[in-house]
Amino acid sequence: MDSSINLRDLVILIADGNAYQRRIIQGMLRGFGANKLLEVDQSVEVLHALSEQKVDILLCDEKLAPHGALALTRAIRRKKDSQNRTMPILIMTSDARESKVKLARDAGANMVIAKPMSPKHLYDRLAWIAFTPRKFIDTETYFGPDRRFKIEGYPNGVGRRKSDKPIEIAAEVGPALPQDDIDKLFNAARTGDT
Amino acid sequence: MTGQTSREATIFFVETNFQKLARRPGGTPREQAISSAQANIDILKKTDFPHWLETTLNELLSTIRLLDTNPQDQRLIQQAYTRCLHLQDVGATMGYELVTFTARNMSEYFEALIAGAPYSSDTVNLHVDAITLASKPPYCHLRPDQLPEMSDGLRRVVERVKFSAQEHK
Repeated sequence: MDSSINLRDLVILIADGNAYQRRIIQGMLRGFGANKLLEVDQSVEVLHALSEQKVDILLCDEKLAPHGALALTRAIRRKKDSQNRTMPILIMTSDARESKVKLARDAGANMVIAKPMSPKHLYDRLAWIAFTPRKFIDTETYFGPDRRFKIEGYPNGVGRRKSDKPIEIAAEVGPALPQDDIDKLFNAARTGDT
Repeated sequence: MTGQTSREATIFFVETNFQKLARRPGGTPREQAISSAQANIDILKKTDFPHWLETTLNELLSTIRLLDTNPQDQRLIQQAYTRCLHLQDVGATMGYELVTFTARNMSEYFEALIAGAPYSSDTVNLHVDAITLASKPPYCHLRPDQLPEMSDGLRRVVERVKFSAQEHK
């Protein structure tokens, strides 16, 4: 399956407190063909940007000051009158411990990507969001993408083959999860594993 | 949007603008897009990454010098922690895996300090030496597994500090 993504004219908001990290992400996204990039370094600026315009996807650092990406994600998902309420949210994290990844998923994030990032991993997570339809769930305690879904296969076969190489950048040590395991956490309750 | 209500949840399908537009034909083919993104990273690596690395390391060292005389200062600990995270997050993307490894180890140390572990100037200086070494050739081109003694030693030090932090709770 050809799962090339077309990012032209999509409004992408990059939220990270590290200015150099934002430049790196901009470099990657421009390489992918994106041409409408916004960037902010604080969670309050994210909320401001979202109140001003339609944003097509948010890439947000998990530790974004002052509230952090999880609280920010919950705030975005809770805001009933926002045009950006269902926008995809990709959380970038330096701390890929399983408990943290599950918290991100339960806050309403569409996907988590481990830092340091490579162009390949960022591209494939964006393609996955684009090509994997997700229902939305609205309950008293949760609004966000259905956490119970089944991955039938990543675009381009990523993460599904035994022969796939493990993450080649910064393989996690200790309790942190490699990207493939993060992906599996998003492949959840239908198998009853969560 | 079509709605379907159950006892506990409203479930509905959303096709976001991102999904609609990202699936349009005419996008850059995957391999070409990744290669083009990597080329942009390589330009950054050749131009301003060395300067950014040097500046960030110097900021970290300045903060640590202040911390040595004020080890209880939570603002300084937070500052040093943030610098370490920046180095950790950027290092391996630019091919400096040992910088990421050492900075990650150091971040864990600062997390332990935030959690209540006692400040150890020896541990901090050990990491400062290691990250300074890791930022320079030939070490900046090596992976942690190519320097197992240093990597294992740093891990053991931080594990001990984390254990100590748990005991302090």
